[in-house]
Amino acid sequence: MNVEQVLISTRVAKAGMTVRELFDECDRANTPGLPFCDVSGRIIGRVTLKNVLKHGCLPDYVVETAHILGEQFSNLQDIQAEVELLLNNTVDQYKQEPHLSITPTSSAVKALAMMEREDTSYIFVVDEGRYKGTVTIHHLASMLARCGDPLT
Amino acid sequence: MHGESELAAQVIFGWDPLWVSSILFVATYVLIISEKVNRAIVAGMGAGLMVVLGVLNQETAISGIDFNTLGLLTGMMVIVAITRGSGIFQYVAVWSAKKVNASPWGILFMLSLVTALFSALLDNVTTVLLIAPVTLLISHELKIDPYPFLFAEIFASNIGGTATLIGDPPNIMIGSAVGLSFNQFIINLAPIIPLIFAVTLGIIYLVWGRSMHAAADARERIMRFKEKDAITDVRLLKQSMFVLTLVISGFVLAHPLRLEPATIAMFGAALLLLLSNFKNDAEEQSEEVNKTFAGVEWITIFFFIGLFIAVKGIEEAGVLRILADIVINFTDGDLTVTALTILWVSAIASAVVDNIPFVATMIPVIKSMAPTFGGAEYLMPLWWSLALGACLGGNGSLVGASANLIVAGFAERAGHRIRFLTFMLMAFPMMLLSIGIASFYVYFRYL
Repeated sequence: MNVEQVLISTRVAKAGMTVRELFDECDRANTPGLPFCDVSGRIIGRVTLKNVLKHGCLPDYVVETAHILGEQFSNLQDIQAEVELLLNNTVDQYKQEPHLSITPTSSAVKALAMMEREDTSYIFVVDEGRYKGTVTIHHLASMLARCGDPLT
Repeated sequence: MHGESELAAQVIFGWDPLWVSSILFVATYVLIISEKVNRAIVAGMGAGLMVVLGVLNQETAISGIDFNTLGLLTGMMVIVAITRGSGIFQYVAVWSAKKVNASPWGILFMLSLVTALFSALLDNVTTVLLIAPVTLLISHELKIDPYPFLFAEIFASNIGGTATLIGDPPNIMIGSAVGLSFNQFIINLAPIIPLIFAVTLGIIYLVWGRSMHAAADARERIMRFKEKDAITDVRLLKQSMFVLTLVISGFVLAHPLRLEPATIAMFGAALLLLLSNFKNDAEEQSEEVNKTFAGVEWITIFFFIGLFIAVKGIEEAGVLRILADIVINFTDGDLTVTALTILWVSAIASAVVDNIPFVATMIPVIKSMAPTFGGAEYLMPLWWSLALGACLGGNGSLVGASANLIVAGFAERAGHRIRFLTFMLMAFPMMLLSIGIASFYVYFRYL
């Protein structure tokens, strides 16, 4: 099995894309992030749900005190209000370095090994500089469960 | 010590070792202050060049490294890295806030007290790293400005750290270089700390405390916090408390046990690593030990190594002897004037530059003053002055101590920026006041 068989086509993030659009696309494709491309379509970075949420509405001190946050915690309401504002922001400010990538003809084993090595659960599939889609560990497991094929 | 002529022959091109070492040391200092290059890299380069250019041979360079300081720092860092995983610090912070019925001033007082006590027994950075988030959470719940709380905690961490041998790196360096015990620090420095702490909190009360109010429902929310939720690993908590108690007892009994503090700390670290990994298999142990070692501030450790060698370079070249003579001439060889000069200069210097390189430089300078004052045993007022000045001076500005910057970083990321000048306008005079109190203490107790 090569990654072409399990990749999920997604939109790419571009300058001006809103956080709401990012959330919708990640929700639709069930991926944790999208590649960030320039106007020519070249991948110049990535935007992820985790990074947007962390920097958009989750202050460090809330993360550090996660264990003692009570149900009556008033900050939660403030954070919910911040999310409303966050959705209208553009994703540009949350752009990170480009993510791992692999070619469509690579084997699923290679994709899994690279994900394990970099301690991530997804990898972008790129062919001659053009983004083709994303492979996630979730999709790989789902495919395996359905077909029972070996990873070759 | 090498003769200067011997050194001159070793230094490349026969250059004057006094100038080569001075230029290298000043360049190292300037680069550390500029913060343009990581301080471990700067100190490593400074140390390396001292050897490569021939100011020091390798054996002398290694002899300049104070392994007791490194061992004590590393051992305590390992113990803290494991202990913090238990959640005990946040438990105590929340518990203390509830003990005062969530009254804003009561919380400020209790969190400052907790910070001071933890800082005396652990390192300041770890203490504020764990207390500051709880402070921000509580102040947000109370809907009051967190600045007075954070300001008080910065002061409390530096004041508390002054009280013990292990509270602040300058004390560790002084204790190791002079052979001062944990008990000597407690007996000589701790008595003045409650007064400085009380005066500091008194001022904070007058400036902010009187007008602090929180709504009843907000206070009620704090009272509903479950401090027990902070404890994430009860077994680890018990193991950590056991080892910490053992280590502190070891420090107290170090003299009769004839053990160096570094030995006690490193043994405590090894014991806690053993206990916390007892039920893990070999692979899990490797993973856990790796994770623990990642919590050690290696930048600080390598910074110390480089710095010790760089200081050894200027010491061997005779620069520190000249510096000591300048100080003696300035103070006319008067012990009182020298002690108070060291106290004030180290406080002001520590407010604007890192106190570690300053103290590393001052230790050999003070040691070389022994003949002037009739022997090493007469230098004690100078050592206590250096410790008080270097530790308390860190309160003078936001860059005065690493803990200050940690608090400022948390505040900024939570949307409460602490401005450098705003902080300094209040902090610098308060730091000077604490040095004034320390001056009276040093004068009446030792001079």
